[in-house]
Amino acid sequence: MTSPHLHINGIRKTFGDVVATDHVELEIGEGEFMTFLGPSGSGKSTTLYILAGFQDPTAGDIRLRGKSILQTPSHKRNIGMVFQRYTLFPHLSVGENVAFPLRVRRAPQAEIAAKVKRALSLVRLDGFEDRMPANMSGGQQQRVALARALVYDPPVLLMDEPLSALDKKLREEIQYEIRRIHQQTGVTILYVTHDQEEALRLSDRIAVFNRGRIEQVGTGPELYASPATHFVADFIGDSAFLTGELAEVKDGRATLRFTDGTVLADVPMHGVGAQGGKAELMLRPERIDLSDTVGPPGASLPVTVEDVTFLGNNSAVTARTGWGEPLYIRLNFGHPMMASVSRGDKLHVRWQPQDAHVFTKE
Amino acid sequence: MLMNFDKLGAWRWILSGICALMALFLLLPILFIVALSFGNSRWLIFPPPGWTLKWYGELFADPRWLQAAFTSAKIAVIVMVLSVAIGLMASLALVRGRFRGREVLRGFFLTPMVLPVVIIAVALYAAFLRLGLNGTLVGFVIAHLIVALPFSIITISGALETFDPSIEDAAILCGASPWEARFRVTLPAISHGLFSAAIFSFLISWDEVVLAIFMASPTLQTLPVKVWTTLRQDLTPVIAAASTLLVLLTVVLMIAAALIRKGKSR
Ligand SMILES: Nc1ncnc2c1ncn2[C@@H]1O[C@H](COP(=O)(O)OP(=O)(O)O)[C@@H](O)[C@H]1O
Ligand SMILES: [Mg+2]
Repeated sequence: MTSPHLHINGIRKTFGDVVATDHVELEIGEGEFMTFLGPSGSGKSTTLYILAGFQDPTAGDIRLRGKSILQTPSHKRNIGMVFQRYTLFPHLSVGENVAFPLRVRRAPQAEIAAKVKRALSLVRLDGFEDRMPANMSGGQQQRVALARALVYDPPVLLMDEPLSALDKKLREEIQYEIRRIHQQTGVTILYVTHDQEEALRLSDRIAVFNRGRIEQVGTGPELYASPATHFVADFIGDSAFLTGELAEVKDGRATLRFTDGTVLADVPMHGVGAQGGKAELMLRPERIDLSDTVGPPGASLPVTVEDVTFLGNNSAVTARTGWGEPLYIRLNFGHPMMASVSRGDKLHVRWQPQDAHVFTKE
Repeated sequence: MLMNFDKLGAWRWILSGICALMALFLLLPILFIVALSFGNSRWLIFPPPGWTLKWYGELFADPRWLQAAFTSAKIAVIVMVLSVAIGLMASLALVRGRFRGREVLRGFFLTPMVLPVVIIAVALYAAFLRLGLNGTLVGFVIAHLIVALPFSIITISGALETFDPSIEDAAILCGASPWEARFRVTLPAISHGLFSAAIFSFLISWDEVVLAIFMASPTLQTLPVKVWTTLRQDLTPVIAAASTLLVLLTVVLMIAAALIRKGKSR
């Protein structure tokens, strides 16, 4: 087997008693756009800083093209990085900022001029060479930072929440630019964000971080369709969780019993759970249907409608199960139930077997 | 804002008047000296009966005055260089360092600012007596450095605090070694702080008289000391001329410092 372009191999980092990252294991292919997605404090930045060489891991290794880079000092790693904060050199013009990496590499003047021009053109800032950073907007500054990080063709580009200081509209605009630049240059990107929409929009694959560990790695659709943990299911997309007891566990499938005696048989299960343990059934509002007839066993539950809100292209329905837990259903415009459903209706929710997931609960 | 100046009505004029009077009160002695330096009366009569440049002629003809001015400038330049260099290193430690006793150290560096200068002078005089540094250039430089350093540390720390260390990290990832990053990025980015520190350090040494009187010897004295000793022997308008030149350099450098600050905030 050929070695991956970048291999993050069992990285662990502790600060005193705080475990910032643990068992972070990831293989990234050449040209891949990989995003670290997770809430604040989940160890995403720490992992990037270890890659950049600003921090040493407590354990584990980082291999780039098969070779460990941990002994290489930051300035010799040749890695590119765009930071969360604005980091343009305030005393240098835009052109000189982008030229800086080439100047410290003692590149010939003609090559510098050509590459700076090309890099600025890549981020659509042609002709901005003589501007000073202080006279540019935040979005423009981050684009210059991107040009500066790409001008020396790094094997990996790290981006640590580069758009978090920008407003939503500008953020979407630059996300689109980043995507285009990735496609145009083929550079391998490691991107950090806490925004699931941003992650889904940009990435080839997403690594979901939680409390210093990677919970799941996969493409956006994979994470949405088959979340491996409660955390991933909760973080990506909308979801409701119904708590019950494991009545039976067999071959990765479970039978759940809820407090009012309702039983759901044969639901796919994640994690290890013993009979009698607690478990949660996850259902997504847009993946369940409302009907006046009962569905197949294991893929249907009786509910009482509590509230209906019309939202234009869909209606949000809040219903309650027989044992009192809330469940949310989204009915698209044109759904046969949409006109008739009203408060107090006793109906059934139904779903495709692959859309329900059971997670064991400690 | 607690008070809006534009909405004060009549109070506005009263406040402006008070400010103008204060400024006049502070400036008057200086304007007085400047006028006297151009006056043709030997007895420092005000207003002068006529005008002349004679006293400036005498000043520049007297090697002792020139010697004192040269000594002053030499000490001030050495103090300036050392104060900025040491101030930079101290500021890096105080702003970037994460060690126990950092705040105590900061306080320690700044004590000369609040200690009466005459106490520092007496203490140094006693210490230098043992070391044989009184009346030497080294003694002068150390004494002035002690009072200049706090200002240097305050201005450089201030500039360093507004400089995001991530910018230095960015330079390092761009391929600059840590030292290269500091020299090519951090130092230029805080240059306004370094220049201000340099100007203030120079001025503190250039104007300083208390420590200088203690450190001076008959063969080594600074301009303010020369003014002071001459004053005690002979009340000549040459003193006014010397003082005017002293003030002139101070004013020029203060304006330079103000321009640097304005250039930064622009
Ligand atoms: N330099 C540090 N010293 C102590 N704790 C740190 C340091 N850097 C990060 N941490 C801790 O490590 C954990 C992960 O932080 P970080 O990697 O910055 O998370 P994220 O980027 O996902 O928000 C947090 O609990 C944080 O408080
Ligand atoms: Mg972070």
